Amino acid sequence: MKQDDIKSNILTTTLESAVNWGRKHSLWPMPFGTACCGIEFMGVMAARTDIARFGAEAVRFSPRQSDLLIVAGRISLKMMPVLIRIYEQMPEPKWVISMGACASTGGVFDTYSVIQGVDKFIPVDVYVPGCPPRPEGVVEGLILLQELVDKEKFSDYSTTLKK
Amino acid sequence: MVKVTDKEVKAERMVLNFGPQHPSTHGTLRIAMELEGETVMKGTPEIGYLHSGFEKLGEYLDYNQYITITDRMNYFSPLCNNVAYALVAEKLIGLEVSKRTEYIRVLMCELSRIADHVLNVVMLAVDLGAVTPFFYGFKLREDIYDLFELATGTRLTTSYTLVGGLMRDLPEGFDKAVLKVLDNVDEVSKDIETLLNKNRIWQDRTKDIGVVSKDDAISYGLSGPMARASGIDWDIRVNEPYSRYDEFDFDVAIALNGDVFDRYLVRMEEIRQSVKICRQALDNMPEGDVMIDPDLGYSLPPKDEVYNSIEGLIYHFEITMRNRGMTPPVGEAYVPTESPNGELGFYIVSDGGRSPYRVRTRPPSLINYSIFPKLIEGHMLSDAPAILGSINIIAGELDR
Amino acid sequence: MLLPKIIAKIENKFSNSILDTTKFAGEDIIHIKGSSNLDILKLFKNNEFNFLADMTAIDNLTLGGFERFSVVYHLLSHETKERVTIKAYVPEDEPVLPSAESLWKTADWQEREIYDLFGILFKGHPNLIRIMNPDDYNGHPLRKDYPRLGRKERDDFPVVKRGINKDSTVDW
Repeated sequence: MKQDDIKSNILTTTLESAVNWGRKHSLWPMPFGTACCGIEFMGVMAARTDIARFGAEAVRFSPRQSDLLIVAGRISLKMMPVLIRIYEQMPEPKWVISMGACASTGGVFDTYSVIQGVDKFIPVDVYVPGCPPRPEGVVEGLILLQELVDKEKFSDYSTTLKK
Repeated sequence: MVKVTDKEVKAERMVLNFGPQHPSTHGTLRIAMELEGETVMKGTPEIGYLHSGFEKLGEYLDYNQYITITDRMNYFSPLCNNVAYALVAEKLIGLEVSKRTEYIRVLMCELSRIADHVLNVVMLAVDLGAVTPFFYGFKLREDIYDLFELATGTRLTTSYTLVGGLMRDLPEGFDKAVLKVLDNVDEVSKDIETLLNKNRIWQDRTKDIGVVSKDDAISYGLSGPMARASGIDWDIRVNEPYSRYDEFDFDVAIALNGDVFDRYLVRMEEIRQSVKICRQALDNMPEGDVMIDPDLGYSLPPKDEVYNSIEGLIYHFEITMRNRGMTPPVGEAYVPTESPNGELGFYIVSDGGRSPYRVRTRPPSLINYSIFPKLIEGHMLSDAPAILGSINIIAGELDR
Repeated sequence: MLLPKIIAKIENKFSNSILDTTKFAGEDIIHIKGSSNLDILKLFKNNEFNFLADMTAIDNLTLGGFERFSVVYHLLSHETKERVTIKAYVPEDEPVLPSAESLWKTADWQEREIYDLFGILFKGHPNLIRIMNPDDYNGHPLRKDYPRLGRKERDDFPVVKRGINKDSTVDW
């Protein structure tokens, strides 16, 4: 069966749910922490609220070895090309959580030098509001993402079928 | 030329990018290093990856609204920034705050100082490979966050002070909670020192690395633990006291060698002195208001007066409406304070309007970082995280 | 109390460079002409004021003052614990003044920041390039006639689409 011919049938739905179960319980994050939200993300990784129990244990700082990009903090003019480059270096399948108000919409900083929302240039899956969001809020964002991953199909990743 | 064998081998310089996205750069900064083998010949820093236009925002926001922006600057110890800004605004306008306000500000500043120094020491340990202190330190930081949440409502971006006083008074039971956390601080700092002080690997990686001489420290404008570890006896809390620091009894920690190990020792000693100051502040806390009289025209009146009397309503509108606001005198002011990183001060120029004409932060991180190219020359590549970690660079303050 | 003596000495020696001496909220401010800042700073440095605490600039477009830009130096003396503020005025059509990097090395990065944000040039600086904004940025943001929201630089990046990108913009 060629990769491009996959459509939904009974074999693929069982396979899809197995693959999605594996993917959603081992989302390895790559924290792109720039500012105050980066410190709250360190608190999420530490002992009190710990995302290792959701499978996001191996926090890799290399884009080639991770599948979840967490943009935490304000993105300035100089940093945006770096973010785009890191996003394109990540292999598929990949997801993006935009953590905090500054990454989602620019936050308090409506100035000449802060990008008003990372989703203008990068596709974002889950937005976590707050300035900075509580660690429990980040965990809820992760659980929402897990529910999103659960609903994916193989045809989402096909290169010939149009979405 | 590197002498590896009997014949001389010509070495080539390699340029390595210690880039803006890297686990051990604290925040977003970039260093372009030229290496010959493992030795760094030249390190050129590049900053500005978090430049957000704080100073331009200051000309658009109100005096009280800018306090919310100041805690996004040094996000390890946000209360110190709030206090520094409120002090300058009060000096410019010429307001005098109550004694209880000053004692509570001192207590909050010292708790922030403990949180900042603990975080800096454990992140330095993580960069050099010792991961265990990270979990001890973060558990302690979570306890201090609980205290901030009791008093101000949020964990990190507190915005606790206002021009003329504080946002609100301390709740019931706060002093018992603080005393419990202070006992915990003593235990955790003893644990961290047991793990690190006499550790052979820690001493080899931090002694005689990044030595700052006394003349260099003055010429490069260093302040805070970086200057005190090189033997300069200057602590603003003792020499130019603000907010009644002269009524507290504490020592100033000074070391003589100026290397990374000395800076670590100075920070651990400052944690102990901060615990002493906190205990004194709790024992001698006076009673009183935490806000100045609304008749002066610079503060919001209490809510029951706003709803039940016409003067309260008018004062409230005079401060908050967009075409009104405070009317400070025309002039300028600068107050230096001792933040955990060094000398932090705001410089406000006012033209009489509701927003400042120019707000400038004196950033201790930027000024302390400017000595880095001189320190890294001649050291090995793996000394770069050690030196960076000991300078305590916070990207929000570096780039503003 | 060293400061009044030094101010009296400057008023004698450099009387044609000093524009005014004022006091506000208990602090002394000395207003001088931009071209003679090095002489006056050297005199302070040789008289116990050994620490340059801060250096910044102000755009006096709507505030009024002797010239359009003023470069502000905050000096501190570790011995006598006194502080003084020196304001050096530079005109708009020729915003150049000598660099203080030869006296204190901390002036290096601070002057680069003033050049980046205000456009004031420093003669004798070893490496006067932008420090905060990107290298190809146009304009000087902290001037009063530059808009707060910028001139569309923050909308100028490539949009990355979801999924496998056959025409990606990254050069591998």
